[in-house]
Amino acid sequence: MEKIANKVRETARLALANGEVNKILGWKKGDFWYDSYPAFITEEEGTASLIWDSFCVANLSKYLIEQLKEDIKVGVFLKGCDARAFNQLLKDNRVDRDKVVIYGLPCPGMIDPEKVKKAGLAKGLLDVQKSEDEVVFITKEGEQKFSAREFAYDKCLTCQYPNPVVYDELLAEEVERNNTTEYFYQDVEEIEKMSPDERFAYWVEQFSKCIRCNACRNVCPACSCEKCIFDNSKANVAGKAKVDSEEQFFHIVRAYHVAGRCVDCGECSRVCPVGIPLAKLNRKIIKDITEFYGEHNAGVNPSLDAPLETFKLEDIDPFETRAKGGK
Amino acid sequence: MSLENKQISSENTSNFKPLIVAFCCNWCSYAGADLAGTSRLNYPANVKIIKVPCSCRVNPNFVLRAFQRGADGVVIAGCHPGDCHYTSGNYYTRRRFTLMKNLLEYVGLEPERFKVDWISAGEGNKFAAVMNEALEQVHKLGPNRKLRDARWKR
Amino acid sequence: MKVLKKEKFPQIWQAINQAYELYLPIEKDDRVNFAQWTEGETVNLEALKTEISPKDVIFPQSETYLKFESDGKKLQLESVESENREYVLFGVRSCDAVSFNLIDNVFLREPIDRLYEKRRNKGTIVSLACSEPEENCFCSSFQIKPEEASPGVDVAAWDLGDKILWKPVTEKGQVLTQKFAQLMEDASQQDQEELIKLQNAIKEKVKELPLASVDPKVIKGELKEIFESKVWDELSQSCLGCGACTYICPTCHCYDIQDFAGGNCGERFRCWDSCMFSEFTLMAHGNPRTTQKQRFRQRFMHKLVYYPNNHGSYACVGCGRCIEKCPVNMNIVKVIKRLGGEG
Ligand code: SF4
Ligand code: SF4
Ligand code: SF4
Ligand code: SF4
Repeated sequence: MEKIANKVRETARLALANGEVNKILGWKKGDFWYDSYPAFITEEEGTASLIWDSFCVANLSKYLIEQLKEDIKVGVFLKGCDARAFNQLLKDNRVDRDKVVIYGLPCPGMIDPEKVKKAGLAKGLLDVQKSEDEVVFITKEGEQKFSAREFAYDKCLTCQYPNPVVYDELLAEEVERNNTTEYFYQDVEEIEKMSPDERFAYWVEQFSKCIRCNACRNVCPACSCEKCIFDNSKANVAGKAKVDSEEQFFHIVRAYHVAGRCVDCGECSRVCPVGIPLAKLNRKIIKDITEFYGEHNAGVNPSLDAPLETFKLEDIDPFETRAKGGK
Repeated sequence: MSLENKQISSENTSNFKPLIVAFCCNWCSYAGADLAGTSRLNYPANVKIIKVPCSCRVNPNFVLRAFQRGADGVVIAGCHPGDCHYTSGNYYTRRRFTLMKNLLEYVGLEPERFKVDWISAGEGNKFAAVMNEALEQVHKLGPNRKLRDARWKR
Repeated sequence: MKVLKKEKFPQIWQAINQAYELYLPIEKDDRVNFAQWTEGETVNLEALKTEISPKDVIFPQSETYLKFESDGKKLQLESVESENREYVLFGVRSCDAVSFNLIDNVFLREPIDRLYEKRRNKGTIVSLACSEPEENCFCSSFQIKPEEASPGVDVAAWDLGDKILWKPVTEKGQVLTQKFAQLMEDASQQDQEELIKLQNAIKEKVKELPLASVDPKVIKGELKEIFESKVWDELSQSCLGCGACTYICPTCHCYDIQDFAGGNCGERFRCWDSCMFSEFTLMAHGNPRTTQKQRFRQRFMHKLVYYPNNHGSYACVGCGRCIEKCPVNMNIVKVIKRLGGEG
């Protein structure tokens, strides 16, 4: 990855130097091994601090909404899932393609610091290095090698589009990752198998953890409304009480509002500070859409209509209970 | 079975009177309800009808809100596909609520508690039948607690 | 000073639970948070920090003030008194214990917050020293000593392997200790020595922590100068404007008052709010802070400048939760360093 990181810096430097863009969105390294965070760079010298490592998980595409409010051209580094997110923003008319230069980064999968912590490897950890399918943890005492899959984010384990689906320049060779789709709906199917009461109990317990911090919404590239109903005190749905029904309302509506537009980036589940498996809601909707209206991978091809923006006369009709007619 | 017989007498079994909220399209099912009324077809009084200009006006939030504030069952009734007053509104309804219904069931709501059906202005009979059936099924399930706001009082 | 053997834990939880509500760090789905104890829960006193701070025990996420009901003619109002029993909050770390005092500064000064005061007075707080501080801890930057009994706690406890040392500090702590004294033993000379060893070990570990050198005093200058610093433009760019940092933070204490309208009945309640939200402090004329930069600045100015001006101490205890939980790795340490001219 270091070779590509050099390319990231060089590309950014050149782009700023020859005025191709006015600002670069990339990642920088902070105090800790897992701390790769979004960087906004306007000066050529600043590009030296850019990085590309296994913790560049933050999706930079949603920042474009805010950044493009100024009349500037922005260069942005996007991974596979980020590129789908970008396309969805494009589709939702939230960004202007002409004002963005996309540097695509084929993604080898990102490492989940929580999994590292859980395995008891975080203590004294100085650096984490990743090659093809191996990850090396470096401490003062020495090195330890593991299979990278063990520590990858769940979302990366089922990722179908590690290579950016939209870019102006691709900074590395496309990666081949044969994540099978076999397990894609496994979690959803497990829940579907339960009885209604079991399902309800499961979700009540999950939702009751929610602190209503809105991280899942704010990180989501499909949640880009100018004014979210949950921020609109006049909509009378922004109840912030810690009661089950408000939580259920929030979660059902959040998932439903991104139906057909969710790019399956998994960011919502990743950022939830209390670990609610939000992806299991999104995936359920994706599964139903696939089953009823055919496969639709939001953000892959922005010229296609989202499933809820359109209809077909011959759509399935689960509602018709009696033949038409009579009085 | 005649409609009269089919109608459940809630007093007998318990004193649970299910509350059904029915969103009815102004151009068809609302008129269907009217017809049911004028033809003296029995349909239960505890179906609260909310008139909407088109079934696609029903925001999923409305459905959730109804459950939060006391509904034991919710019905959305619109024109038959192909007959929408605005040409295509109900086709959207169909997609939206196919997904919504599945999602609600996925979080644990019983399928019988949420229904969508197509009822034309001429189908007074069907209106009564759909409502009676909804009521009957909900009655069997008992009062709804799921999605209900605990702070809400009848 | 007393000693409580760990094998007696189940017994003492049961006993305390008879007389009090008992809050403990409880593990569920691999995550540890304070919750009310009931038989069969997995208590985890090893995990250093709970995911969310225990502030919701003394300042619940939402709390009803008032209930109202109307019969169409008359509106009936009913003030809600908290029905809580006395409670014991066991296993609070030093940073979180100090955070309670910081919240007290806000709620227990005139005008005193009635609900908060009541709830606070009903609590007996037992702290547990941090034998193994973590990488993102920086409590020492705020003069917090995780090896000692933090000011304000009723009982201080230290983990000595198969037992804990138990030291009542306040009257309330004495009462609690006396009630359950039959489950404890007196601490021996050897225990005392072990305690000193442990305390010294903790002190050493804290010094070695990667963030030990973080010092909020690097933020100097006039309020206005800090307020207008260019740093805010730069740092706030990555902020998503979610409330994760404020809701997991032990010292954030802002709340909103809302009504639940249920037709002919309703409730007025308060609930946590976050300065990061666009409708925070929304007033009739609109919102005084319209951009994310302003909202971001508010959070950190409050913690590092306004609160210290009002109450004489920083409103951060260095628990490190925001470091762990921010979706984009923005946090107070980055802000302190940057305001201090670093980076
Ligand atoms: S979801 Fe795919 S593209 Fe996104 S970080 Fe994971 S592997 Fe990379
Ligand atoms: S709902 Fe979650 S997975 Fe879907 S686009 Fe939004 S953040 Fe990504
Ligand atoms: S991120 Fe998690 S805790 Fe925050 S609002 Fe979303 S689901 Fe709730
Ligand atoms: S600002 Fe961060 S470190 Fe400070 S008390 Fe809050 S969560 Fe802890």
